[in-house]
Amino acid sequence: MLKRKSISNPWLNTPLVCGALVIGLLLSSTLIGNIFWDTELAATRSAPLNLPPYGFENMRKQEGVIEHPLGTTNSGRDMLAVMLVGTPATMSIGLIAAGIGMLIGIILGFTSGFYGGLWDDFVRLMADTTTTIPALAVLIVVQSLFRVEVNTMAAMIALFAWPGPTRYIRAQVLTMRESGYVKMAKLSGAPERDIMFKEMLPNLIPYLAASFIGNTSGAILTAIGLEVLGLGPTRMPTLGVTIFFSLEAAAILRDMWWWWGLPTLTLILIFMGLLMINVGLDEVSNPRLRKASK
Amino acid sequence: MFKKLALVALSIAAIAVSGVQAGGHSKARNKTVVFDIDGGKVAQPYNFNNLVPGTTRSNGIHQAVFEPLFILNYETGGIDPWLGESFTSNSSLDVWTLKLKKGIKWSDGEDLDADDVVYTIQMLLDDSTQSLRDAASMQQWVKSVNKQDKHTVVFNLTEPNARFQLDYFSVKIYGGVIIIPEHVWKGQDPFTFKFYDKEKGWPLGSGAYTLKSASETEFIYDRNDNWWGVSQGLPLPAPERLIWAVTATEENRSMLAAKGELDSVMDVTLGAFEAMQARNDNMQAWFSELPFSWLDPCARQLSINTQAEPWDDPAMRWALNYIIDREEIVRVAYEGTTIPSMTLFVHYGGLFPYIDAVVAAGMGMRLNASPHIAQKIIESKGWTKGSDGFYQKGGKTLEFVIKTHEGFIEKRRITDVVVEQFLDAGIKAEHRPIAGATWDNDRYTGNFMGSMDWHSCGSINEPYASLNRFTAKYLKPVGTTSPGGNNYVRWDTAKSKEFTQIVDKMGAMPLNAPGMVDMVVDAYRLWYEELPFIPITQARKLIPFDTTYWTGWPTAENNYNHPATWWQSTHQIIHNLKPAK
Repeated sequence: MLKRKSISNPWLNTPLVCGALVIGLLLSSTLIGNIFWDTELAATRSAPLNLPPYGFENMRKQEGVIEHPLGTTNSGRDMLAVMLVGTPATMSIGLIAAGIGMLIGIILGFTSGFYGGLWDDFVRLMADTTTTIPALAVLIVVQSLFRVEVNTMAAMIALFAWPGPTRYIRAQVLTMRESGYVKMAKLSGAPERDIMFKEMLPNLIPYLAASFIGNTSGAILTAIGLEVLGLGPTRMPTLGVTIFFSLEAAAILRDMWWWWGLPTLTLILIFMGLLMINVGLDEVSNPRLRKASK
Repeated sequence: MFKKLALVALSIAAIAVSGVQAGGHSKARNKTVVFDIDGGKVAQPYNFNNLVPGTTRSNGIHQAVFEPLFILNYETGGIDPWLGESFTSNSSLDVWTLKLKKGIKWSDGEDLDADDVVYTIQMLLDDSTQSLRDAASMQQWVKSVNKQDKHTVVFNLTEPNARFQLDYFSVKIYGGVIIIPEHVWKGQDPFTFKFYDKEKGWPLGSGAYTLKSASETEFIYDRNDNWWGVSQGLPLPAPERLIWAVTATEENRSMLAAKGELDSVMDVTLGAFEAMQARNDNMQAWFSELPFSWLDPCARQLSINTQAEPWDDPAMRWALNYIIDREEIVRVAYEGTTIPSMTLFVHYGGLFPYIDAVVAAGMGMRLNASPHIAQKIIESKGWTKGSDGFYQKGGKTLEFVIKTHEGFIEKRRITDVVVEQFLDAGIKAEHRPIAGATWDNDRYTGNFMGSMDWHSCGSINEPYASLNRFTAKYLKPVGTTSPGGNNYVRWDTAKSKEFTQIVDKMGAMPLNAPGMVDMVVDAYRLWYEELPFIPITQARKLIPFDTTYWTGWPTAENNYNHPATWWQSTHQIIHNLKPAK
């Protein structure tokens, strides 16, 4: 019996590669599309109304045209442009919110876990309190009163995205600070900042990556929840806002499948991609999972 | 994460299927009429004190419970009696005498008589804040109100007014002054009283229906078989139950209508109506073929806060007007189902002599845009285009934010197009849809730059009502509420005062008196030169009805009145309905 290669690169596991491919393809195609297609066509009155994708017919027997290959909406938005603008916008909400949340989590989690004491009590209390606030409800109120744009919306979502990473990182730091290499570093007089971010942080990278991806999905979900209620940017729509517009205009009843179908499909791909990356990163950070799957 | 995914999927599904499930109610479907409510969830579902701004009355309460005194018939041009029998003036138009029908009772059995009318009007006259609905207009016109006998009320006016009955007591637009029961309201604070107590039978009205239940999304009314009309020989309406339901998106409303779960749908787009008809043969609208729609009396307009820089300058407002391409708005936002506004008036027959005169005097609105003229105006004010393509002056970008009610699709769609037109011309325009109550408050208190609305709504068969809304007497400083929602654009210049003088003179003349056309042209010129708001389009309403369970809906052929089911005139529609099977 041949002995399995004992050292394989854990980062090259199937779910991680597939997920990265899906997300990479989505991102690169939209980025390339942004170069070659006029994304201003995503604005209202940029194209003839209600056209189907090229090669199809709409309810009124109008045929699609090559100038608008993915069809148009009832306000004359070009669907290809909408997808090219909406996909990165939707993903960027997730990345920004998760990025800010993660950054706050790392700072608070490390300092509270490492130093303990009153600061730790305070951070824990804040994190526990924030967890109990219904983020979606707060965001709905804020959005209906003030209607903020995409980046501010991401920042607002981030306000509720930090307690998760903070609590987990704190727990990990509490364990790690008792380990031999940390004690050794302390004894050898290394500055506390270096101990936290040069000695301890690298050990958490696979976990942090998985957590970041999970948070990204969560933030996108929150944003979609807001947008499908109509509480998103209106001029250059994200995927959720596009679904809202299509529902509002009875697109399903009018057989305008390209209007609601394309953003829905893209969202499915985004979530599947992120989920696979998450599963893959789990395997990286947890060797037992890796063995179980072999 | 899966939990979150499932939660969001569930909430999306809930939104998609929210609204009516008429089959689930205990009454048989063929004894129930289901209407929809647009504009989203009702903010204060348990507050039936409709004197207070911010409360909703088109949730069935003023269509089925609070009866009007008279109803303007848009088709005949006459005024149909309802609770009132007659409302006549003396020859000098400053004393009006209301005669109520005999035998009218509140649904608790108490008489509805002259005492209730006097009590209602006196309460409005006593409101020093002028914030109660209709308080400002009653205080403008009524010097005193007296009971002559049990069924007769005499109004002494501050000055002659030929439109007193028409404007305030005849459901000219949306609703008239609501008469309230003195025996319930006496001793209550009209600003805080909610007029809701199930055990006491509140809200109390005189209509053929009483409230059974209320919630943010649904209002149910059951027929009161002891309705006062029966004792006077009038037939009870056929429907035993009426439901008003918040039906959310056009998709949802159209689906429900296509499945026969909604009998009356508020305004929808042409595409949705065509899709509905393709699935439900019994769907009908005002006309049986294109354009299907009925013309709503509230033409759409862009209101501009004339106190907000740099739009306080009439020339800058004119620049906006030059940028607006009305034909494009009609083509994109309405998918071709309406027409551009020529003046600030609605295109009804009685107003055409005035519309024609204004247009002949060279003051008709342009259909297409002339952005080059706009740019010249803007540049003459010292603005120069920056590298980002937007005008700038002293480090400030030329911005224009338009607020809309997030629940009103039509107004949002117009705004989307207008914003693109402004952006193309170098103005950094932004569309900000906000919650309805906030939007109302912002407009009335002057906390806005632009608002897409119907502020000039008022004139139907004579020109005074719309013009009067912009007179200087309604001016309030920014931060305080505009009385009666009038002149919230806060037009306050020498020309507005001159305008006010002419319009006030018109108010003292009989309807459509000789010389009125010339006065309208004179007043209109002052308004036109300063353009405190910009007329955009006529508001066509495509209002579908389902005849599967109920027939007798108003149409161009069966035109006993107009089809606006969110107005107080809906009492007439309900009394005309007949079971289909």
